[in-house]
Amino acid sequence: MSGLVIAPLLVVLVTAVLALALGRRPRVQRAASVAGVAAYAAVVSAVVWAVVLGPDAPGAAAYQLGGWPAPFGITLVLDGLSAFMLTITAVVGLASMLFSVRYVSAENQRVYYHPLFHLLTVGVTGAFLTGDLFNLFVWFEVMLIVSYVFVAFYGTDYATAASFRYLVLNVFGSALMLVAIGGLYATTGTLNMADMARRLAEPAAYGVDPAPAVGLAALLLAVFALKAGLVPFQFWVPAAYTAAPPPVTAMFAGVTKKVGMYAIVRLYFTVFAGAPVGIDVPGVPGGSPLAFLAPVLAAMGVASILVGGFGAVGQDRLERVFAYSSVGQVGFIAVAVAVAAAATGPLRGVAIAAALVFALHHSLAKGLLFLGAAAVKDATGTDSLPDLGGVAGRSPVLSSAVFVGLLSLVGLPPLTGFFGKLLTFDAAARGLATDARALSALALAALLLGAVLTILYTTRVWARGFWGLETPAVEVATVDTGQVAVVAALAVMVVLVGVGFDPVYRFAETAASAAVDSEAYVDVVGLDGGGSA
Amino acid sequence: MSVVLAATVGALFTVGTFLLLRRDLMRVVFGVAAVSQATFVYLIAMGGVDEGTHDLVPVLAGHGSDVPTVADPVVQALVLTAIVISFGTTALALVLSYRAYEENESMDVTEWVR
Repeated sequence: MSGLVIAPLLVVLVTAVLALALGRRPRVQRAASVAGVAAYAAVVSAVVWAVVLGPDAPGAAAYQLGGWPAPFGITLVLDGLSAFMLTITAVVGLASMLFSVRYVSAENQRVYYHPLFHLLTVGVTGAFLTGDLFNLFVWFEVMLIVSYVFVAFYGTDYATAASFRYLVLNVFGSALMLVAIGGLYATTGTLNMADMARRLAEPAAYGVDPAPAVGLAALLLAVFALKAGLVPFQFWVPAAYTAAPPPVTAMFAGVTKKVGMYAIVRLYFTVFAGAPVGIDVPGVPGGSPLAFLAPVLAAMGVASILVGGFGAVGQDRLERVFAYSSVGQVGFIAVAVAVAAAATGPLRGVAIAAALVFALHHSLAKGLLFLGAAAVKDATGTDSLPDLGGVAGRSPVLSSAVFVGLLSLVGLPPLTGFFGKLLTFDAAARGLATDARALSALALAALLLGAVLTILYTTRVWARGFWGLETPAVEVATVDTGQVAVVAALAVMVVLVGVGFDPVYRFAETAASAAVDSEAYVDVVGLDGGGSA
Repeated sequence: MSVVLAATVGALFTVGTFLLLRRDLMRVVFGVAAVSQATFVYLIAMGGVDEGTHDLVPVLAGHGSDVPTVADPVVQALVLTAIVISFGTTALALVLSYRAYEENESMDVTEWVR
């Protein structure tokens, strides 16, 4: 059972090496690459079924690398939360790889596109699976170095400038992360996340002073918010997202952004939640580092919703609208996580489940929209709204698929976005009804305003880009059927997940309860040298 | 020892931050390197640097009468990993800055396209 945990990582690593080795034979490389992503999706679903969802699944499993027992070696852990994120990765990865094969020009595909794509997935998968804080840093770096290259991929003046800014910002972020990790190692004497959770929960028994953990956790919050693109760390997002190849942008928005949110949830709720450090924050109950997280993350989320929403309304290019929109949408996830942090008892799990469903919705819908915008750009040669118009008449299938994505962003039932928004509102409203009143009221108001802004910019995109008279650029356009098929498949997925929402929600609930249950996490890692099932 | 380490970390962070905020591209890259170095020294300091004993460093202590001071081996491993990553990132930053110079025909960040 435990050997399964490393399987997704191995599959994608082998694919990356294979894609690199086959570089001289583009057709074979492309076939291997697509097969590799398909195999990744298959392996992830098999592993998730065997470990988390299946009838007699243990719920979580750990793999000790090299057979070194837990607190000393590096542990890979697959629990509900990691499983949920891996599933998102597999779906978005498959869609954007299929799209890339049709979209990225043949010469560009030969320039290391495929190996890089898989290495991005390697970094993301590692970050979701690792149970070791320093290892999390290493996987972050794997993911980031690939994304620097992808942002600079087209080598234009705009792309190199965007990539350089993105690189400097993230190197500084990584330095801060190392500072936080070093501090936590000095404070707790361990790097294993389960061990750290155990020591912080009972500081007296292990001779640990948990107080510095709060400040170091705050440092980590800044780093992860940078990766997630939350305000005030959002300024790299529009440039980087528009410079990278669009299928990769779908991966950035759908997957790598979520790594930051995942790390926040994992570290704060699983590792730091138990630390008995009293901090009095007005309006927020509770006495752990979480009490500190709640107002800060809520403020960041609210600011993201506003900056992203207002920014998206003012943009004239499809890609930029969606880039700003993804800043806003991550804000919704952050607000849900903040409600969870402020809450006590069962509401905490409900709010995390809401955040996860919203993350799933955003990955699907935003992946669909970025790919749809790329298909439009490929067909017409432009993605600026003034030059577009009448795409709906030219390509009904592509336009309906994009329309589904836009409606899902707005939150129309029965699409995935409806449930994402509904659950987030529900969590905030429940927070208002119990404790943490001031925070929840603020969150609720921001969510409402954010929803209105979403309607504004989606309407604008639809009315100006897809409806109306055909512009000269659109009249001569022919869309690529392969690209449209991928976009349409994602649209069907958005509808299907919405219609058959019950199992998805149960998966999200499992993931949320795994996130808040740090005792189970400690158990599965098996710190007493015994390994695990 | 800890005073020296603290001063070093502080100085490196100061220099790094100062360079990061320059307009010249090369200085920014050097700033990136300096900030990374600062975190490495910091990491070593966090693991603790102690007087070595014959039990702790048997091989080193066997050569001559002096027993050297030693740092925590775990943080040494961490720093080694971080140095490798930082090496790669700095190399990439240098390549990117050359490429950005070619594209923008300027090493001054403020003269770049937005």
